[in-house]
Amino acid sequence: MTQSAQTNFRDALKLRSIEARNSFQKSFPVAHKFLLEKGVELGRLRQHSAKLISAGALTGSLLLSPPTSSGNLPSPIELVTGIDDVKNNDTKVLPQKELVDSLKQMLPTDVRPLSRDEEKRLEQVINDITNVPAKASLEGEHLNTTYGYIGAEQHLKRYPGDILENHGPYYKEGIAPGLGAWSYFAKSKSELNQDLIEKEKWYAVVQTLYLSDWSKRQPYLRDWYKYRKVLIVNTKNGNAVIADIADSGPAAFTGKQFGGSPEVMEYLGGSKYKKGSVILFFVDDPENRISLGPVKYNDIESISNSLIQI
Amino acid sequence: MSTLFFDHLVVIETLNKKIKKHADSNDELQELWLYVEELIHHKVIGCCLENLPNEHHNEFMEMFHSRPYDKEIISFLNSKMDKDIEKLIKLEIKKLTKELILLDSNKM
Repeated sequence: MTQSAQTNFRDALKLRSIEARNSFQKSFPVAHKFLLEKGVELGRLRQHSAKLISAGALTGSLLLSPPTSSGNLPSPIELVTGIDDVKNNDTKVLPQKELVDSLKQMLPTDVRPLSRDEEKRLEQVINDITNVPAKASLEGEHLNTTYGYIGAEQHLKRYPGDILENHGPYYKEGIAPGLGAWSYFAKSKSELNQDLIEKEKWYAVVQTLYLSDWSKRQPYLRDWYKYRKVLIVNTKNGNAVIADIADSGPAAFTGKQFGGSPEVMEYLGGSKYKKGSVILFFVDDPENRISLGPVKYNDIESISNSLIQI
Repeated sequence: MSTLFFDHLVVIETLNKKIKKHADSNDELQELWLYVEELIHHKVIGCCLENLPNEHHNEFMEMFHSRPYDKEIISFLNSKMDKDIEKLIKLEIKKLTKELILLDSNKM
């Protein structure tokens, strides 16, 4: 893509956007005035909505669609007791099955932002079954949603000159032509170490760009999110992976809320997994003791059986 | 509940592939995404107002301002007009996608 073609496209898109704004103002002057008085810009509507959802989720005033089987939803204590029973029982019920069953009971059918109560219950269940200290809110930070669709992303260039052939064995998704939100992982190939290799291998993408306070709280938020560890759980099969945030996206109009590297997606759902519902929580790991990669929370002998392919 | 009441009607993956080819950095990519978002929001709200009788505009704007995430807005719109608003929004987005896909070609 030539520089002039890129500039032309950007300028044309910007022009269309301005035209749409002017046309709206001309066609619907009363609505335009209403939004102006309320301080709502249609271009930043998503951030306005996220702010309302966040406030409502905290106070519990949102009208949320109920979980699938809310009629007989167990209390957190019942759930945890059930998990302990499984742990102490000799029967071969896989923790992964227990997690999938619990998620099925606790989550609504359609993905949506969860209330803080729902998130607290999930934290408890996930911590008990996987032993990962996962939290929806960490140090006061919270994503617009913790329950959404994840989509397959490409490899990221780790240093100037990095190519797809260096990213085996998963080549199918290709390598992103542009850089991630935090640029290269290393300034040069010689500075690339095992830690940075792992960071690219197990990276996640979250929609920092739609956070209501993203632009106001810079550079703090940019630094806070860089390589932040997250736990991603496939809600359909319970496969879980610890990833680090290394890019911002995906665009809201793709219908997805998160992204995963080829390795993350392979572990979550197998080679054909391109999109699926997940829970994504921050990992509370101030001493950096938890490694990136698959969370193998079943018995060693049963790991091969527990990775459920979809 | 999604972030916006019409999110489920706006899924345009093809456009994203094109946009990614036109951005060198994540900042550029996000700038292009925001232009598309702004376009989508103006088109969708414009489509709702255009098809909703004038006497209901105020109620719609109040509802939309206080609960932009609420899918009940779709039911409200359908109850006040004799058309299917979901179909109309989808059509509007289809037209917009086509327009944006052809943006840097000579076909426009």
